[in-house]
Amino acid sequence: MSEIEGPDTIVALATPPGRGALAVVRVSGSKVREILREVVPEWDERGAERRPVLASLVDPESGSLLDRALVTFFPGPGSYTGEDLAELSTHGGSLVPALVVDAIERAGARMARPGEFTQRAYLNGKLDLVQAEGVRDLVEARSEALHRVALHQMEGGLSRRLAELREGLIGLEALLAHHLDFPEEDDPPVALERVVEEGRTVLGGLEALLATAPEGELLREGALAVLAGRPNAGKSSLFNALLGEERAIVNERPGTTRDAVEASVSLGGYPFRLVDTAGIRGKAGEVERLGIEVARRYLRSADVVLLCVSCEWGWGSVEAGFLEELREDASVLVVRTKADEGALSGDDGSAGPGDPDADDRRSASDPRVRGVLTVSALRGEGLEGVGEHLRDLVFGGAVAGSGAAPVLTRRRQRRGVEIAHGEVTAFVDALEAGVPAEMAATHLRPAETALEELLGVISPDEVLDRLFSEFCIGK
Amino acid sequence: MERGYEVIVVGGGHAGAEAAAASARMGARTLLITPDLSRIGQMSCNPAIGGVAKGVVAREVDALGGVMGRATDASRIHFKMLNESKGPAVWGPRAQCDRGLYPRAVRRVLDELPLLDLFQEMVTGLWLEEERVRGVVTRGGLRFGSRTVVVTAGTFLRGRIHIGGEGAVAAGRAGEAPSLELAQALEARGLEVGRFKTGTPPRVDGRTVDFSKVQVQDGGGGDYRFAGYVSEELPPQRDCWITWTGPELKGIVQRNLTRSALYGGEIAGQGPRYCPSIEDKVVKFPDAPRHQVFLEPEGLETTEIYVNGLSTSMPAEVQEEFLRAVPGLERARITKLGYAIEYDYFPPHQLRHSLELREVEGLFFAGQINGTTGYEEAAGQGLVAGANAAAKVLGRDPLLLRRDQAYIGVMIDDLVTRGVDEPYRLFTSRAEFRLLLRQDNVLERLGPIAREKGLLTKDQDSVLGRRLHDRRALVEWFRQTALPPEKVNPLLADAGGTPVKEPLRAEELLKRPELGAEGLAEAGELSPRPPRDMLHAVEVEVKYAGYVRRELERAKKLAEQAEFRIPEEAPFGQFVTLSREAREKLARIRPADLGQAGRIPGVSPADLQNLLLEVRRWKRGRERAVAGTE
Repeated sequence: MSEIEGPDTIVALATPPGRGALAVVRVSGSKVREILREVVPEWDERGAERRPVLASLVDPESGSLLDRALVTFFPGPGSYTGEDLAELSTHGGSLVPALVVDAIERAGARMARPGEFTQRAYLNGKLDLVQAEGVRDLVEARSEALHRVALHQMEGGLSRRLAELREGLIGLEALLAHHLDFPEEDDPPVALERVVEEGRTVLGGLEALLATAPEGELLREGALAVLAGRPNAGKSSLFNALLGEERAIVNERPGTTRDAVEASVSLGGYPFRLVDTAGIRGKAGEVERLGIEVARRYLRSADVVLLCVSCEWGWGSVEAGFLEELREDASVLVVRTKADEGALSGDDGSAGPGDPDADDRRSASDPRVRGVLTVSALRGEGLEGVGEHLRDLVFGGAVAGSGAAPVLTRRRQRRGVEIAHGEVTAFVDALEAGVPAEMAATHLRPAETALEELLGVISPDEVLDRLFSEFCIGK
Repeated sequence: MERGYEVIVVGGGHAGAEAAAASARMGARTLLITPDLSRIGQMSCNPAIGGVAKGVVAREVDALGGVMGRATDASRIHFKMLNESKGPAVWGPRAQCDRGLYPRAVRRVLDELPLLDLFQEMVTGLWLEEERVRGVVTRGGLRFGSRTVVVTAGTFLRGRIHIGGEGAVAAGRAGEAPSLELAQALEARGLEVGRFKTGTPPRVDGRTVDFSKVQVQDGGGGDYRFAGYVSEELPPQRDCWITWTGPELKGIVQRNLTRSALYGGEIAGQGPRYCPSIEDKVVKFPDAPRHQVFLEPEGLETTEIYVNGLSTSMPAEVQEEFLRAVPGLERARITKLGYAIEYDYFPPHQLRHSLELREVEGLFFAGQINGTTGYEEAAGQGLVAGANAAAKVLGRDPLLLRRDQAYIGVMIDDLVTRGVDEPYRLFTSRAEFRLLLRQDNVLERLGPIAREKGLLTKDQDSVLGRRLHDRRALVEWFRQTALPPEKVNPLLADAGGTPVKEPLRAEELLKRPELGAEGLAEAGELSPRPPRDMLHAVEVEVKYAGYVRRELERAKKLAEQAEFRIPEEAPFGQFVTLSREAREKLARIRPADLGQAGRIPGVSPADLQNLLLEVRRWKRGRERAVAGTE
């Protein structure tokens, strides 16, 4: 009855619009060949697969020349989208690419919705959901670290890991199937200890993956690093210096430093959301109090706090009081600022209010303080150290140490793995408590489903395949 | 001969017998037509009913009013409860039956049904008018008219038997003719056809077996019954034996592999992996030191023995040679050679859940013709097909069993949703609700459905009424009865549990891992003593309430998805927001609801979501179109 309908054909400008030297227009769908024949009359299907060809682009109705462009045709299903796909490298600017897109539209394509090329790749089985998320992260990556993780994810690194864990669960089910469905076989019954042991292996894999989630999610969102300290402690200077150092994009929010200024920046190759807050001091006017409220909110959710202490004044009761207000598990980097104003350690050897050693001793007694650094924003000294310290403090665990291992970068991914983890834990606990295997087994399928939903792929039932390949079954 | 019937059943195997019986019990005038009336209910392979999952199916068939449970009880000469050392939810009753008694019992049960006629003839064609069935045509040119036809042709459709690689014989079962014309007639309707194979082992004369060299396997199970409605008299019980193959047999098989029909390239069809031939075992598991061989008596009045585990398609002399290498069988004389059989089946995605073919109205398929193996699987389908053939004629709702209601429901849904790539057999692992599908609760699960569908005789109905009443009473007893320490502590002492100090309710006590329902009922002097399976059912439901509840919740979710129906004519191919693979699969399977769509391999959760939206959109468009034309 119903035939499988071919996909309609979509077109979009794949490069940012504006003043580039070149622009790339992408077309995908069942009518790409026809459209090329109309818009690129000299294009010849034969021998033109996956090879750029220089050709003239013309208006399909008037036949007038639009541009000379490199045309590359990728026949489906071996293309990115899995459909026939063409990429046209036209001249840049705002006019030519627009004319080409318009011509292609009139030749039978429609404008693509955002993300539609990748959606088609997914629908045609070229990518799974996790890989598609990787593509999106890759395009949006603003730090080297996310770039690396996203590339790995797009290439199927995380998908493979999730698939392996799912395989592990299938293996567990197969062992149980042998245990429950084939009680009279040649092979001796599978010992439940073996099932428990293999359950723990899967659990270990799920745990390792889960451990990457907190940092992995920060890779996408940027870790919140909040600058704090008394007014005039040099926060804004440090803020600007860190931004300047990395030439980051600044998203200024309305208001003054009395509220907060936030900017995205890549420090030591990792993404941060740097926030400059209003200063904290004992007594504040009405206006400032509002700013302080904002600052407190930021501080509560900060991944790391940069506590600025001017070398002129040194550590004082305000700083000590400030520390106490922070969460127990807060992570604080003490930054001694304004080292340029003559108080840099060793400049004159004087011990006084600005004595770095004394500051160290006083602040280090608090477990929240993870390090003390000295910088000069003016001379640009010590800034690199701040970046490295921040990176190690926030991303020093699972992500940095993971090399090319997969990382969970989205809450959706974390939730799926968490569900699987919870179910497998319950499974192992139940078996160990002597609950009959078929009862404990009720935890396995939900765990599998959780991983399959992550990938967006449902595979056929492989439990029996596994069973029959491993055991000689059948009397 | 031109008598008209409402339902005609073609074939008298396990599927045919149940189909005919179900149809007649429903109240339809029914004809069972088969080439040899003396072979109704014949056990063509191992004379055993049941096993893990399969035993539950046999009981499900019984609970739906069927024949199999009674015939098994009336013919069983050896019984074993498989998995008894494991949790009660996976217990599998299995009976070794007398090959002669079983079919006689089937025939006796069929003869009780006044609306059922039997007739001996080979059916060679269907009597069709356009896309609708009108009856059947026999080899002798007779026509029997009916509104619906159930075909249960087993391995007879273009069956070919192989004994060694030296050539094959066209046959339905050993010694019986195949059905060629019917296969052609069905294929001519444009149905997709596939080919499977299966095999049997040789049988030997028990008087030539050296029983001093084999191990006795005790039966057990006392008075266990498959049948819940009628209590048949159990025959005397017999032992079974077990022995093992060794390196010598392996060598013989390896040397002669090219002479096997299976390995000599004679057979193309796919065989079941869980029922491998000895050739398969030796080739695929060359490191296995030994394979077990069960020696099972064929009956009380015969000395013939079924050599279970040595299924083969080797030539006669090789079969003789390798048997001599098995301890106990050194001097065994073969009475029947083992053989492999190839046969046609019709890929079951062409069926609806009612087992009616989509393309031919009124035509139903059941059993091996749908790509399954096993008497129990055949019986389950036969019962459903027969009931639905009758329901269609009588204008009643079809019998559709869900996956959380019966293994039969799991099987049929697997068949029509996933299709088969090897002969299909049930396992508990195929069921996602295995805790609900137990042998101890079949009557409670399926009795009310059977009653509602009109599948029960008056006698069966009144037995069911009592059973359901007793079951409620038993649950109440456990809830209300407090047992004093002096009654409970001896039980606890036996099981090594800590004694209690004050009276506790039986239900509370049952939650303790060391106490069982049988012991508590005895300690509480419950009288009359409820049937054991009923006690076990209550035990599972109390002791493992948390797990059972989880499955019930998941079943509820499934039922919600099943509520979203998808019309058969939905244009799946045009739903472009679904993956290409999903669209192709959906167009082929044409799922009846969203739940079934989600079980098709290749349909992802995202596809499912989009399918819901697409079907809604399409339905709205269709309604608008209809409104526009009015």
